[in-house]
Amino acid sequence: MTNTLHRQGTPESLKHDYVIFAHTAKGITREGSASKLREFMRICLKYHPENIGESKQGNILQDDIDIHRLISNLSDGAVASAVFTDLDTLQKVIEELIRANLGISINISGLLDEVQTCCRKAGLTRHSGEHSLGFWGARDRLPEREILELNTLCGHGMVSFNLIRKMIDHVKLRRLTPGKAAKILAKCCECGVFNPTRAERLLENLRKGNR
Amino acid sequence: MEIDTKKCVGCGNCHAVCTMGVIYLDEDGKSVVNQDECVECFTCYRVLRNEGYKPWFVKVLRKGLSLLRLGYLAEVDVCPTGALTPPELKWPRNLRAQFSDPSTVHPGTGVPGRGTDEIKTNDVTGRLRKGDAGLVVEIGRPGIGAYFRDIEKIAMELAKLKPHFEKENPVTQLMVDPESGKMRDDILNEKVLSAIIEMKIRQERVHEFFHALEKIQKEVDTVISVGIASRCLPDGTLPHEEWVRKAGYALSPNGKTNIGLGRPLFKEE
Repeated sequence: MTNTLHRQGTPESLKHDYVIFAHTAKGITREGSASKLREFMRICLKYHPENIGESKQGNILQDDIDIHRLISNLSDGAVASAVFTDLDTLQKVIEELIRANLGISINISGLLDEVQTCCRKAGLTRHSGEHSLGFWGARDRLPEREILELNTLCGHGMVSFNLIRKMIDHVKLRRLTPGKAAKILAKCCECGVFNPTRAERLLENLRKGNR
Repeated sequence: MEIDTKKCVGCGNCHAVCTMGVIYLDEDGKSVVNQDECVECFTCYRVLRNEGYKPWFVKVLRKGLSLLRLGYLAEVDVCPTGALTPPELKWPRNLRAQFSDPSTVHPGTGVPGRGTDEIKTNDVTGRLRKGDAGLVVEIGRPGIGAYFRDIEKIAMELAKLKPHFEKENPVTQLMVDPESGKMRDDILNEKVLSAIIEMKIRQERVHEFFHALEKIQKEVDTVISVGIASRCLPDGTLPHEEWVRKAGYALSPNGKTNIGLGRPLFKEE
């Protein structure tokens, strides 16, 4: 999920898209971190995330994934993540993580000002921050905005431009519902940072011809 | 990725799922992977559920339906006959999977994904300290992919700034000389979904980074996603914002925040 910071979209659509993830540092917090990562995921799960997963095992929107088994199989250094669509829930998750005092690093991708406000309400001053400086290079090879918006919902870029085009066509022809198409797209994103609710809304808008 | 031609029925589902768009139908109606362009991300294999049908069954079904002027349309997230076959990858081709398949662990860093640390553990490592600007230059994403020969071009241009390349980064570990940014010769023709150059310079030199990037971006036929990070000031503001604006560039409204819950917290002297 290196580049969840490159998620594209209007400020309005980004308001409903927050990824929280746990990370460990070799030689400092990685060794013996499995139980802390499990607790992190249990806390996230309690607040009904839109998606949740881990890069080596997959996410809850994939076939045959049992989230409880996934959590129990987490090992030291796993990169666990969950997606939420509103700040109130995110704040509750942060507050519970503070109380849990796990000692592993927690990061949030989303609108920076909103996340900072959320941290302040929870009594935290953010430690570090990162911005996207956009796309450079051969930008003429990139597709239209809507496709980029869906593609960048996966931090590793595993949702192909062609699959997105196919899903848009299927939704427009009513071969698939926006929800089912969003779930198929989410299956490609191994870590579970893909926001299926945001994708569904975008596909629904495209079906109606809204831009 | 390889496709078992004895099993493939040419449904085309893998063509759409392919992150690089490099699977096509041959003259016999079988799907084929362009091996030069495949980045071994294994997305097709992971995402398409193997329905386990016998190829003859699918062919008979198709013929029967065509007699009734009906078409055979497999569900979009299946491989009807399980024809996708992951190959055993050897050096240097295995680099493709290490940089493209997020479930593959980089041997040098011990973590899966693109293998960068950025600010993710900065609360405990102190990797980015007061006055540092962390820069991440992801080459190939979104959706285009990159050859190491292009990654080398960018690394060599950025190396002229004499930055600190992150040692625990998989791209740095493939440099034969971090002073020049030169990569190993035997990997230059390997293609990956994306690779990230990770470095830091002093914040007041951010304009030099932009100058170097403006120059080199015209010399590569792929896209580059760029990010900048820093440790917050005591009031929570991000000092790199000022330097980026001074250089005349725009920042995204969204990004990543390390909320500082890691322990023991790194204390800067």
